[in-house]
Parts: sequence; C-alpha cells; structure tokens
Amino acid sequence: MADNNVSSAPIKYDHNFAQEFFSTENGRLAQKCMQCGMCAVSCATKDLMDHSPRRLFNLVRAGKKDEVLGSNTMWMCTSCCTCKVRCPRGIPLVDVMHDLKNMAIAQNYVSYPQAAFYQAFWQEVLNRGRAFEGGVMARYYLKRGWGEIKKAFEMKDLGMSMLKHGRLPMVPPRKIKGLKELQQIIEKAQALQRKEAK
Amino acid sequence: MAKKVGVYICKGCGIGEALDVDALAKVASKEYKAPVVKTCDVLCAPEGIELIKQDLAGEGVNLVVIAGCSARVNYDHFDFGPEILVERVNLREQVVWTQPPDDEDTQMMAEDYMRMTLAKTKNLELPEPFIGENLSKAILVVGGGLAGMTAALEAANAGHQVILVEKESALGGWLNKVYKIAPLAAPFTELQDPDVEARVQAINDNPRIKVYTGATIASTAGAPGMFDVTINTAGGEVTERVGAIVLATGARPYDPEKLGHLGYGQFADVITQAQLEELVKAEGKVVRPSSKEEAVKVAFIQCAGSRDPEHLPYCSAACCVESIKQALYVKEQNPEAAVYVFYKDIRSSGQYEHFYKQAQMQGVVFVKADVESIEEGEGGKLAVNAQDLMMGAPTLLDEVDVVVLANGMVPSTLVDENLPPEEQTRILNLKYRQGPELPTLKYGFPDSHFICFPYETRRTGIYAAGSVRRPMDMLQAVEDATGAALKAIQCVEMTARGMAVHPRSGDLSFPEFMMSRCTQCKRCTEECPFGAINEDEKANPLPNPTRCRRCGTCMGACPERIISFKNYSVPMIGNMVKAIEVPEEDEEKPRVLIFACENDAIPALDMAGINRLNYSKWVRIIPVRCLGSLNLVWVNDAMSKGIDGVLLLGCKHGDDYQCHFMKGSELAGIRLSKVSETLDRLGLESERVQMEEVSIMDYDKIPGIIERFIEKIEEFGPNPMKGF
Repeated sequence: MADNNVSSAPIKYDHNFAQEFFSTENGRLAQKCMQCGMCAVSCATKDLMDHSPRRLFNLVRAGKKDEVLGSNTMWMCTSCCTCKVRCPRGIPLVDVMHDLKNMAIAQNYVSYPQAAFYQAFWQEVLNRGRAFEGGVMARYYLKRGWGEIKKAFEMKDLGMSMLKHGRLPMVPPRKIKGLKELQQIIEKAQALQRKEAK
Repeated sequence: MAKKVGVYICKGCGIGEALDVDALAKVASKEYKAPVVKTCDVLCAPEGIELIKQDLAGEGVNLVVIAGCSARVNYDHFDFGPEILVERVNLREQVVWTQPPDDEDTQMMAEDYMRMTLAKTKNLELPEPFIGENLSKAILVVGGGLAGMTAALEAANAGHQVILVEKESALGGWLNKVYKIAPLAAPFTELQDPDVEARVQAINDNPRIKVYTGATIASTAGAPGMFDVTINTAGGEVTERVGAIVLATGARPYDPEKLGHLGYGQFADVITQAQLEELVKAEGKVVRPSSKEEAVKVAFIQCAGSRDPEHLPYCSAACCVESIKQALYVKEQNPEAAVYVFYKDIRSSGQYEHFYKQAQMQGVVFVKADVESIEEGEGGKLAVNAQDLMMGAPTLLDEVDVVVLANGMVPSTLVDENLPPEEQTRILNLKYRQGPELPTLKYGFPDSHFICFPYETRRTGIYAAGSVRRPMDMLQAVEDATGAALKAIQCVEMTARGMAVHPRSGDLSFPEFMMSRCTQCKRCTEECPFGAINEDEKANPLPNPTRCRRCGTCMGACPERIISFKNYSVPMIGNMVKAIEVPEEDEEKPRVLIFACENDAIPALDMAGINRLNYSKWVRIIPVRCLGSLNLVWVNDAMSKGIDGVLLLGCKHGDDYQCHFMKGSELAGIRLSKVSETLDRLGLESERVQMEEVSIMDYDKIPGIIERFIEKIEEFGPNPMKGF
C-alpha cells in the first residue's frame, strides 16, 4: 500500500493534529489503537476508501491533517458497526467516524458529495422533525452548486417516472408536534458532546 | 538381603484373552524357579492387592513381580512400602495392546518379557538411601535484589534458615536504581514506588534470615545438603554450611557503547533506560542531560540492540514495559509533552496490556518503525530518522529533547570470552571439577531445562531465579523467586531423606563405585552432566551422591563397568539381554532389541499401545533411565546372543534438546559412533545398531520407525552369531 505522500522527503511527525483529534469525544478512544488491522479486514466498504480505518488512525498519529480530513474514509463508512464489535481495544470506530465527519465539516473539508448530503438531510430533520426528500434534494443541489444541478437534469426521466407513481412528493409534509422539544433535545445532546470532548 | 520372589500375573484388560497365562506362569515357576507364582483376574482390584499382601505376610515374599500393566500406571496400588521391591512386566501396553491376540509370536514376546524381568531380579537389591553427614537445611540466596529478597522471605516463611548475600552495601538491587516501578498488582495502570525500605525491613525483621551485605562468595564446595560456602565480607571470611542455593544475581543492561549506530556516545541527549532512571532520581523529572531543561519531546527506541543477531539475538521481555513506565514519567510532569515510542513489536506480557493501554490513553504515540539513524537537528536538538512500517514510508521526528534507548539485558552469569580467565565474572566459585561456574544454556543464561524444569541449573541444588534465568520483568521475577525457593526447599528435604531431586524425585538409589578396579580414565567425571563427580588427590573419581540425579550416564561411560546402582546396573541389563530367547536362523524370526529412554520413548511406546497401534512382533524393549546410561557392552551382549539389530530410542538433542538429563541422549549418540569397531570385530554391519530421536508426542510414528529399522535389518540378513 503506497502512501499518498508525493514528495520523497520523509514524513514529519506532527503532534498538533494528533492532539486536536484525540481531544474529540470519541477520537480520545482511538488513541488505544494498536494497528492490528481487524477493522480494515472487517470493513465492507474498505475497497472504496482512500484509507482503511487502521491507516487513517496511523495518519492521525503522524499528524497528517490534510490526508485525514480530506479522505473519504468517514464518508464511506455505513455505520454497520462490524469494526466496532470486533475491535480488540474496544474503540467505537463508528462514533469516531462521526466525530471525524463533524470535524471535517467544521474545518471545511467538504469536497465529497456525502458531506453536502449529510448536512442537507440533517438541516431538513432539524427544521421539520421529519425527512422530506424534496427538501433534502433541493438543499443538497444548492450546496453542491451548478455542476451537480446539471447532473440532476440528466436524471429528469427518472424524476418524472417517480412523480407519476407518487414517489416524489412536491408538497412538504407538516412539521411534527413538539418540534421545539426535539430541537431542545438535540441542542442538549450537542452540548453534552462538546462537554465530553476535552 | 535374602530375596524371595513372588510373581503375580494379571488377566485383566484383555491379557487373559490374548495370552496363555498358564504357560506364562510356567516360565516363571519352571524356568526361573520362582517360589510363588499366582494369577489373578484383576490384580489392581482390592482382592488382587490383598492376594499379594497375604503372601508378603505369610510367605515372606519381598520381591514382587507384577505382570500386567505398564510401570507408569497403578504404581500407587502396587506400593507395598520401602522394604518391598516391585518389578513390573509390561504385558498390557507393550504386548497385548500392540500385538494380535492368541498368536504364537505374541505369546513368545510375553514370555520373553517375563524372562527378562526375572533375570533382572537376580542382581536386584533394595536401595539404601545415602544420607550425608551434617546435613544442613539452610538456603543460601545469592543476590539481594527483588528476586533474591523474595526468595529469602519465601524460604524463611516456610520455616527454613536463610543466608542472603549481596555484593552491594545495601539490599534492593535494581530497585535502588529506579525512580518508580511498573505496577505489580491490579489494575496494572498506576506507577508504584519501589518501596525498598519496607522490603528490606521485612528481611531484617525476619529472625530466620541472616544478611551479608558488601559480600561476595569466595568459594562453594560440597554438594546439596552439604554446601560449604565461604563468604568474603568486610569483616573477613565467613564459612556457612547450607543445603541449597538460589542464584538471583539478576542481569545488567547490554553495553550501550556498542550502540553507536543509534547515536549513543555521539550525542549527550541519547541515553539508556538505566541512565534515564538515574537522571529522574537525581533531578525529580525528565530533563535534557545536556542542558537540564525540562524535556517536552522524548523518543524511546525499543529493541536497541535486542532481537538483532549483531547484538542480542533475543527479546529482553521487560524493556517495553520499562519504556512505557518512563513514557508515563514524561506525561506525568507534562500532559502536553510529545512522547514517541518506536518499536518492533510491543511485548507487554502478562497483565501489562492494561499498562500499555494506559500509556496510549495518556497520549503516548507508538510507532512501529525501524529506526535508521539519530542526527543532530536544529538548536542542538535531535532528529530521529525511521522507516515507518505502517506507513511504508521514511519518517522524521525532529526537535527531540531526549532519545532513550531500551538496550535490553544480559545475565550476570554471562562470561566475557574476550577476557582472560582470571578477570572473568565469578559468582559462585564452585569447587567442581567441571568448572567454577554454572554451565549456561544459551546467551549466558544458566537455566538448563527451560520448559519442563524451570529454575533447574545443571548443578543440582543450585536454582536460578529472576532475570539471571531468563530476561523478565519484576512481576515475573517475584513469581520466579517464589518457585526457586520452593525448589530449594524440595532439594534440602529430599536430600535429608537420601532421595534424588527431579526428575527421578524420590529415587533412593545412587551410583556406587568399585574403586579397586578403577583405571582413572576420568570418563565418568567428564561425562556427568551435573558435575557430580570430582577427583581426589590420587585422580580417583570422588562421587558426591547428593549432587547426583541418578541418570546413570557415568554407568554408561565407564569402560570398566565398575559403577552400579542397587536396582540398575550393567550386569542387570546384561542379564535381561541374555534372557531373550533367540529362535534359530531357519525359523526366520529375527529379533530386534530396543533400548528406550524412560522419560520420553517409553511413554510414547505406551501411548502407541493405548492407541492400539500395531508394531512389529520381533522387538523386545528394555527401558533405560537415560540413553546416557547405555553401556556399549549391552550391544555386544545382544550381538553375541544372535539378536539381529539394536535400536536406541532417546530424546531429541542439540540446541532445543528434550533430554531430561541434558546430555544423555547426545552422549549415547557419540558412543554409538564408536560402536562400529565392536561390530567390525564381530564381523557385523555397524548399521545393525541405530539411534532414533523420539519425543513424548511421537507415539504415532513409533510403528513406522520400528518397521523401517526392521526392513533394514532384513536386508542384512540374520545375525550369524545365532545359536553360538
């Protein structure tokens, strides 16, 4: 497995990013990784990833921030939990991946479409209390910009067919009862998460 | 003693169905005139035992021959006290379970075994234990470090007098040199204080322990139970008599001067683990040795010289835990400090995995890498160049304050071959003909039988414990010291009863020399694996029976055959060989004699029987205490008797030997290489005598080994000496 390191100069170990990552709520537990590779061999989508979870943690250790946050590893993770249950060190890898997603978005590493989709879906749920596909789609395309919108027009036949069969509601559903409370719950949860992190 | 033989033949376990037991009984009563011969349905059942006991009381039988199962089973049933000799004829595992039932050859085999055993009883005597004079049950512990102090306390708490000798002016050993120690108890996550004072206090408070500090051993004479140890102390020489010795002299760090390739000696800030401990003890925190500034970036390099054929080929087992501990020193003083550990493989044995995890959670970064060089970086700091094996790329750690080398350990018993003999390290100064120090197994460690008999050295009564025995951490050293103390106690107790220590524990026989016929050839003194035989001023062998482990290697070595045990001797086995009935040549029934080692080959043969593996009907098996006790005259006896081939089944020898007596099977091999002369004299092919290595697990290979040998013998044709 060749590294993405393009220059021939040796990789410098940089402690700063490692400390930043290890201070997140679940990233803290990734310190226990002993590079056994059980997660990598368990992962269903490893072949689609730039780096297996094991390599990702090793890159964190070396302090290669761009490689880690710019990789698609956490976006390819389907949260199936196979790695998490098999990890001999008990690292909750799935939750670590969630932390990594948050970190990537917060630091504007959003080149992967998944990043836009996650945010679109999340905002939709936060505003309505339920998912509305039309809304998710609209937000996603706006986030991704013109290139993605052009791609959407290429799929118009599929869209029309879905519309005919009543599979593409155009009118947003009603918001749920108690949306305020839901938002409070979510806020509380986020506050807790910030507290758990160092 | 006047012997009266009673022969008891068991019919159980299929023996009665497979053999003609009455014919077998006739062999004993008619041919050998055994006064009492009885058969019984189940001999090990209460009525069988009762039958024997009645004869012991009523008939005055005092030599019981039991024809039934192997000597390795039911020995407790057939134990009639120390006054009664018991011999076993193995009809079950070696005959009935490996041969077809109701067969002429099977019957012949059983009758031969009966003859052989009864022939053996001719010279058999009741062993009388050797009890030395002025036996001591005190235990000498050499080395007052953690292992030595533990061994001393354990032995004293078990009720023995202990003498503890330490060469430094104070007890504590390595504990005095460290700032903190790795945890010795659950949860294995927190650093502990060495707590030397409390440990030394426990020693001083114990009335049974006598401590000599600042003392070395000038000489160790004598034998188990009777060691006379002369100790050089500040107040002059003292001589103490002890029963057994625990050697706990520990290890020293590998010489870092040889680690120039890792920058040692070149940069002041490249230090060893031991030097870091000194530094922290002196300064109270981890600092740069060159400027005494607090260190904020530290690199540990594991396996500095270890697992490297150029330096130490082995793993020192404790340095990883030691480095983790020192990494935690740095993290304790400054949680933000960057600590990198470059490792080949982390070996956190036992419960130290918790400790490893603790270090990881504190933010210590572990990097699996080959360190290539240490260079000077900016601002007088260091840079570590490595090949990161996980990244598959060269990496660099710069601005390092301190580089710590985990330089492994070498045993204190390691002899520096480059020094002249008078300058070499001397610890025990043994008055043994075979040399003043313990023979070492490998890399200078004095252990002798690593897997089966830990703590045993090749000098009976001297037990190695702690990192002198093998590299280990403190927790293992405590366990080791406890084990060695127990071994030493066993040794003094057994010796006081005149019994052998392991592996023939409880054996009361010992070698006796008919000195009038000794030619002073020195073979016995040379070949004894345990240095049990010294020389007197007239160059006669001077046996020390309490040093002896009763393997009989001396008996096999002696060309004059003057060494005998009461229940094991050259004529005894010779009679067994001569008792075998060899059929005439025209019957085409060859005979092959197998000498099998009691420790591995006999159990394997028994297991072949238990698994009902069939092997050749032409073999006759004689168990020997060790192949080392094989005297070539037996081969001679067998050949002149007309036996067609002799096969020796012994243990593996070489570097990873399995011989219980270290050198026995190897010596047998060497002697065998000389047997061809004997056979040439008889005009026989030297391939008629061969040796095979058998481990205890090789029972499934036994029939094949025998079969191949017999095929070879059949190529040569029958032994022309038949019928002479």
